[in-house]
Amino acid sequence: MTSEVNEPGSPPVLEVSQLRVAYDGRTVVDGVSFRIQRGEIFGLLGPNGAGKTSTLSAIEGLVRPAWGDLLVDGLDVEQQPLAVKALLGVQLQSSSFQAELSIQEIARLYAGLYGVKLSKDQVRDSMRTVGLADELGKKFKQLSGGQQQRLALFIATIHNPLLLLLDEPTAGLDPQSRRGLWRRIEELRSEGNSILLTTHSMEEAQAVCDRVAIIDHGILLTEGRPSELINKHKDDPRVLSVAHGAPTLEDVFIGLTGSEIRD
Amino acid sequence: MTNTGVNTTRPPLGLALRSLLRSDFLVLLNSKTSLFLSILLPIVILVANTVGKGQSRLGGSSLVIGLALTLGLLTSGLFGYTLALAHDRDVGVLQRLRITPAPTWMIMTSRVLVQVATNLLASVIVVIVGAIAYGLTLSPGQYLLAIAVSLLGAAVFLSIGQAVVGLVQSTSAINAISRVLMILLLLLGLLGGTGILGDTMKTIAAWSPVGALMTLFADTLNASSWSGQDTNALLACIGYVTVCATIGVRWFRWNSR
Ligand SMILES: Nc1ncnc2c1ncn2[C@@H]1O[C@H](COP(=O)(O)OP(=O)(O)OP(=O)(O)O)[C@@H](O)[C@H]1O
Ligand SMILES: [Mg+2]
Repeated sequence: MTSEVNEPGSPPVLEVSQLRVAYDGRTVVDGVSFRIQRGEIFGLLGPNGAGKTSTLSAIEGLVRPAWGDLLVDGLDVEQQPLAVKALLGVQLQSSSFQAELSIQEIARLYAGLYGVKLSKDQVRDSMRTVGLADELGKKFKQLSGGQQQRLALFIATIHNPLLLLLDEPTAGLDPQSRRGLWRRIEELRSEGNSILLTTHSMEEAQAVCDRVAIIDHGILLTEGRPSELINKHKDDPRVLSVAHGAPTLEDVFIGLTGSEIRD
Repeated sequence: MTNTGVNTTRPPLGLALRSLLRSDFLVLLNSKTSLFLSILLPIVILVANTVGKGQSRLGGSSLVIGLALTLGLLTSGLFGYTLALAHDRDVGVLQRLRITPAPTWMIMTSRVLVQVATNLLASVIVVIVGAIAYGLTLSPGQYLLAIAVSLLGAAVFLSIGQAVVGLVQSTSAINAISRVLMILLLLLGLLGGTGILGDTMKTIAAWSPVGALMTLFADTLNASSWSGQDTNALLACIGYVTVCATIGVRWFRWNSR
């Protein structure tokens, strides 16, 4: 796997420093820092409520950080919000599109918003690549969950963004679609895009991510290549106590974040 | 589309605005309620009044047409626009739009423009149907003036609706408040204006959104010369737009949580 393939002098695609996000005074992301280089797939892992979506929301400009700096391709998220948004492709944890519009109309709307001119025929052609060519006339609500995810990913990548933010993109997908999405993500990386994704699947993190970070209670606990993380924490007693045999990434995850269930 | 390397240029605003306008227009066209409220409802009122010989009761054809126009603007602004906006905020449609590079003012402006255009079209239809139904002959100048007053009316009710969405977060509360507000404004404008609730109420009614618009519409359709009452009505409308739009924009929140 390739990471750190930056041209000399070009800034990281994403630089998060000391990010703090708070809702009504309650801190849910606390001093999180990490970087993503060009052509890198970065996975953000963490239990429910750990602060993954909140971290992404800050990068997307949906919430204003209480503290910290966010740079996308060297541009400050707060100072140049529209320029940053043009560089981002986003799939939210739950997507919502206008219920009155057909899939085709939704695709044309978002293409236009991201500066891509698409005729009806071009929409049909590109929808074929994601297996939605037969659903063009349907409304978003009439799609199956997996089809909705595919549409959301299609729209997130419609303008070939520098950085793709995917919030649990494979939640609810069947194994075939999941593999399809992994292939698509790797394709995008080979075209030079960088990807930040969240997932609850350790298998997925190991299969597609160049590097991962584990976050809990808003704090970034550890970060590195999946194999590095296993190596680094394999002798940690908390990890050993939950491992059955040789520690896996999941053992590291549970060891570091505890076994109790989150609300 | 995706083979030209990574895209790092800012998208053109013109294309974004055109795309928004087209989709907002399609949304409005596909939503039966808003078409009913802005066009069909006023026409039903016009026709119902010719059938029932209600002219005498409601005080003349210009008043009935004025009422139909005002009601169309009131319901589609305070109901159609307001509830659609609250709903889209609730389900996250606005959040999805907000993470695109389109400026937020553009997302809002597009919705408002499409709504206003529909209102004006509806008003033209209502005036034409009204003129035919009541045998009025209107000069081109009167048509233009009626459209101008409709524009003002659309602005008044959209601003009031925007203020409601700006101040209230929950969609069901907005739904309830809009209904109550609509009935109150109507009662105040209509009943208050008749003088049966006393002179104070009559004065208040004349300055109320519905009352002020009815005055302007009636004087336009009657071709009366400009009066002090018209000036007051115009000032009242401008006041409502300024205050409500400011509140509605200043306190508007894009997400529902
Ligand atoms: N808009 C909001 N207002 C108030 N609290 C919020 C808001 N969004 C998230 N939270 C809280 O912030 C914390 C972190 O939430 P976040 O959505 O970032 O978690 P997550 O890691 O994405 O979880 P999941 O895996 O369940 O998606 C949670 O305690 C959540 O209740
Ligand atoms: Mg989440």
